[in-house]
Amino acid sequence: MTQPIEKIETPKGERFIIPIGPQHPALKEPGHFEFTVDGETVKDATVRLGYVHRGIEKATESRNYIQNLYLLERICGICSHTHAMTYSLGVEKLAGVEAPPRAQAIRVIVAELERIHSHMLWLGVAAHEAGFDTLFMYSWRDRETVMDLLELLSGNRVNYSANVLGGVKFDITPEQAGDVLKGLDFLEGRNRHYLDVVSNDALLLGRIRGVGVMTQADAERLGAIGPTARASGVALDVRIDAPYIAYKDFQPALITETAGDLEARFKVRVREIEESIRLIRLLLEHLPEGELVARMPRRIPAGEAISRVEAPRGEAFYFIKSNGTDTPARVKVRTPTIFNMATVLSLAKGLQLADMPMILVGIDPCFSCNDRMVTVREAERAETWTWNELREHGIKVYQR
Amino acid sequence: MTTQERLQQAAELLAPWTKSTATPEDVRLDVVIDAADLGAAVAALHGARWGYLTAITGLDDGPDAGGLQALYHFIGGAAVVTLRVSLPYDNPTVPSVCGVLASASFFERELAEMFGVTVVDTPNPDRLFLPEDWPDGAYPLRKDYTDVPAPQAD
Repeated sequence: MTQPIEKIETPKGERFIIPIGPQHPALKEPGHFEFTVDGETVKDATVRLGYVHRGIEKATESRNYIQNLYLLERICGICSHTHAMTYSLGVEKLAGVEAPPRAQAIRVIVAELERIHSHMLWLGVAAHEAGFDTLFMYSWRDRETVMDLLELLSGNRVNYSANVLGGVKFDITPEQAGDVLKGLDFLEGRNRHYLDVVSNDALLLGRIRGVGVMTQADAERLGAIGPTARASGVALDVRIDAPYIAYKDFQPALITETAGDLEARFKVRVREIEESIRLIRLLLEHLPEGELVARMPRRIPAGEAISRVEAPRGEAFYFIKSNGTDTPARVKVRTPTIFNMATVLSLAKGLQLADMPMILVGIDPCFSCNDRMVTVREAERAETWTWNELREHGIKVYQR
Repeated sequence: MTTQERLQQAAELLAPWTKSTATPEDVRLDVVIDAADLGAAVAALHGARWGYLTAITGLDDGPDAGGLQALYHFIGGAAVVTLRVSLPYDNPTVPSVCGVLASASFFERELAEMFGVTVVDTPNPDRLFLPEDWPDGAYPLRKDYTDVPAPQAD
């Protein structure tokens, strides 16, 4: 006699919680997301950060201003120049020193090269998450060009260490400028192709058009910044709203899109690469003559300074308090991703689980790793997925 | 609107709660207010659609200088308005501004865990950055938290 097979019933309306993360090796900001799903639909999302919180803000309080420049440059491996520059600008404000015009121009050139490499990195990651690995391979191959240019100028592919307090460390010779212009010509051609791909490739558009729409009102309410906000039509760019260093004389154009979906986020970033190329050419053509460094005092006068820079992902904000010694009393760092993270949590609700990789990647949260663990919890039962499997799930759903 | 007009507008909006003001830089306005007035002041800026909250900075000036401060930085174009609230070491408390600005949640969680400031009615009081097993009552960005390894050269 056989045992009667127990019928398994799924309680109606029961929701599963799907945790994603926190392991994202090679990223600056691993995050642990939990998506509560009802079938395929995401009902709620939460995030837990801090897995690589290294206590850098506290560490700045036991290092002098020069040591801190090197420490803060290492907050992020992608926008390292942004952090070093924002910090330098704040300390220079406290000291009442302004970097010489040539140094300001070189800072902007490196910042824009960094923006190009960051956006191209993102383009590859986003394409990969969409299952479009050809675009991933091409964009990362082409990105090597801009990495080579940064190495040519600074000697380093990452952490270029371009800034010193009061100016920059290296000059740009006419020969180097010529090489940079040659590299930019190549990148411009490739970028035109990418704009065509993200605007017209039917398969990619199937994953990005109309997905994850954030209206302008939502973007403003949730506090989106950078390209994520500009893709929803929010006119927000520190380089234009509060021009600093050479941006005062060399203004970039504001790049916005109105659709607010993933397609718009692709287009904004690709068009920003184009704008950065234009700006670098202009700066190389009009590179001011003169010194590279202004003299800085070792002890920084007491006071408080706020500095803001448009990082590739949006506004970076530094608050520096000096007590008149050679060591800061407080350095507060607010990076752009924490701002945009809130938009993910809100955008996720009501969307399909299959869209989650693209929604997360859409804000460019420095995600480039594919081996994150995903645990699917089903009442008592737990199943472990890798990020790759979640990504595959997304691709499969769209293959149907 | 020029930056100076924006700052002027913010000064007028905040006037009912202002205890003193300072202009540390020509694009900045620092407004000292009471913690209890924070909700009303933030609502006034928000109601007039004046800029956005870009960060909340916690500050520990040490016992001699009077204790803790919470700085709410608002950005409107090039203008930066800072609401400055002084807090005693003994039970530092601020009201949550999430009712008006939902985006403040992360900043409030950071302020709470790093400086030991109680944020009343914040929608999610969980830790954001610190590990789950972090000891209660240890606030790493306070000056009296000195359990920090000294910098070492390799």
